[in-house]
Amino acid sequence: MSYEPKRYKIIGVKSFTPDVRLFRVKCKLDPKPGQFLEVSVSGFGECPLASCSHMPEFVDLLTRRAGNVTNAMFNLKEGDSIFIRGPYGKGFPVEKLKGKNLILVAGGTGIAPVTSFINFVEQNRKSFGKVFIYFGFRDEKNILLKDRIERWSKKFNVHICLNECEKHSYEKGFVNDVMDKHKPEVENTVALLCGPEAMMDAVTKELKKLGVTHKNVYWSMERRMECGFGSCGRCQIQDVYVCKDGPVFRYDFIKSRLDNERSSERWSE
Amino acid sequence: MAQKIISRDDLPHFVNKLIRKYEVIAPVKEVNTKFKQVNSFDEIYLDGITEVPAKEFFIPESETILEFKKGRAKEVSRHIKKRVIFGLRMCDLNAIKILDSVMFDKNYLERRKKTFLVGIFCENPDKYCFCNSMELENYFDLFIFPDGDNYRIAIGSNKGKRLVRGIKTSDKDIEIPKPKNKKVLKNKNIEKKYRNKAFEEDARKCLSCSACTAYCPTCNCFDFKDVSDFEGNSKRIRRLSSCMLKNFSEVAGGKSYRDSRLSRFKHFIFHKLVYFKKQKGRYMCVGCGRCLRVCPTKIDWVNTLNKMGERK
Repeated sequence: MSYEPKRYKIIGVKSFTPDVRLFRVKCKLDPKPGQFLEVSVSGFGECPLASCSHMPEFVDLLTRRAGNVTNAMFNLKEGDSIFIRGPYGKGFPVEKLKGKNLILVAGGTGIAPVTSFINFVEQNRKSFGKVFIYFGFRDEKNILLKDRIERWSKKFNVHICLNECEKHSYEKGFVNDVMDKHKPEVENTVALLCGPEAMMDAVTKELKKLGVTHKNVYWSMERRMECGFGSCGRCQIQDVYVCKDGPVFRYDFIKSRLDNERSSERWSE
Repeated sequence: MAQKIISRDDLPHFVNKLIRKYEVIAPVKEVNTKFKQVNSFDEIYLDGITEVPAKEFFIPESETILEFKKGRAKEVSRHIKKRVIFGLRMCDLNAIKILDSVMFDKNYLERRKKTFLVGIFCENPDKYCFCNSMELENYFDLFIFPDGDNYRIAIGSNKGKRLVRGIKTSDKDIEIPKPKNKKVLKNKNIEKKYRNKAFEEDARKCLSCSACTAYCPTCNCFDFKDVSDFEGNSKRIRRLSSCMLKNFSEVAGGKSYRDSRLSRFKHFIFHKLVYFKKQKGRYMCVGCGRCLRVCPTKIDWVNTLNKMGERK
């Protein structure tokens, strides 16, 4: 296993909000939907990011300026180079999902791995049943990948849920509330979630209420994946490594582990 | 494999012969007891386990792994001279076995390939040692243990065979004895005890100083740090880190997933006894007792687990 990244060229930068940009990088790494890449800016460090497209010729890094490396990325322009190694992780269990109806839920920049999967669904439309998309953002200004969302609205059942919302073209409320209002198909259905854990908690609860059991819910998890192949220990959740066993986990598998860790987080000293 | 026999007086000759041929790293007593390159058998200190483990010879505390130069990234390859680590106790040897199953980078593999592991029987375990509880296995190139007035050298690999050419072979092998330590970890099967209240007493005493993980011979967790110079070049350094530190589980934006001392403390113990066992089929703890020895607030988690067993 190697820590050595390769250099690739940025072929496009698009700004969505002051904090979120999309970097299109020309490379043939071709990550599977849900896998992640280790992206480096030399002198600043490395961070795990998922591609939000599923294309053989490039990856799209939807990046929120949140840490050292992503801040450095915001100084990069089209034509600059960036270092990437990977892809790592298992990604979404694409084969198991074929023939199912899909509920795809994501919040904020958490839409990246999910949109990569939507790309895959578009490319293999006949393999999947009905598709329900619920994306949550803070407000209209924070909607990401608007052009794609518009495209998908014509093909799939798309709900954009905003915490603060004035227009009627979007829906007000948390994803789980909107889902309760516009109920998705739950027979023969699998749900894929990515976003803040509090959001995924609420959505998983709502899904259970609607009839999607925990073994049909998949979480794409965020942790600090430093090495990418189960050596550094930084992304461990109890006995699993998010980098090599995940980052996508079936909820009934990860639930007890999360419950345990959270139980000791509630400890007051 | 056959065992070799040398007299007690011949051990220094044997080691000095190795020193003439290889770089020999062995326990020494300086400010503390640790492993260091030696030039003669006389420098070696063999009374008791070293305070500092030998892991630094395989995963240095801090090491450049990548160089970014002229817009290219290149992994740093190290040339390692053939070397012998002499005087490893059975716990230290097993710790290296554990590292072998979690470290995959090429410099680690190079270091392992070039190193002969020569163990020695632990004649004087102290009150913190509990290796007999940890299901240790024979894992060495050579292992030296007393047999009356002589030493026997058990050979654990073909690599080890090369070091003992010309030494008298014994007629019959005998089993490697177990060290006589008194401390016992009775209760290792703690998977269902994650929420046991007894951990809280220990966690309250924990300072999150990470001494336990720094001295642990199997703790290998690390992170990366980039450092740049004034010419636009930079390098990436791998540094040992610790799950006892708050920022270890921190993600961009500042959220730390093991924010409480309790959850970090439990993660350390459960990783050693439960998680690793599930992943790799063996304990990650070798019972060397270094974490207990160095703890500034004298947390004795072995004792805590033993009491837990009684309570049920």
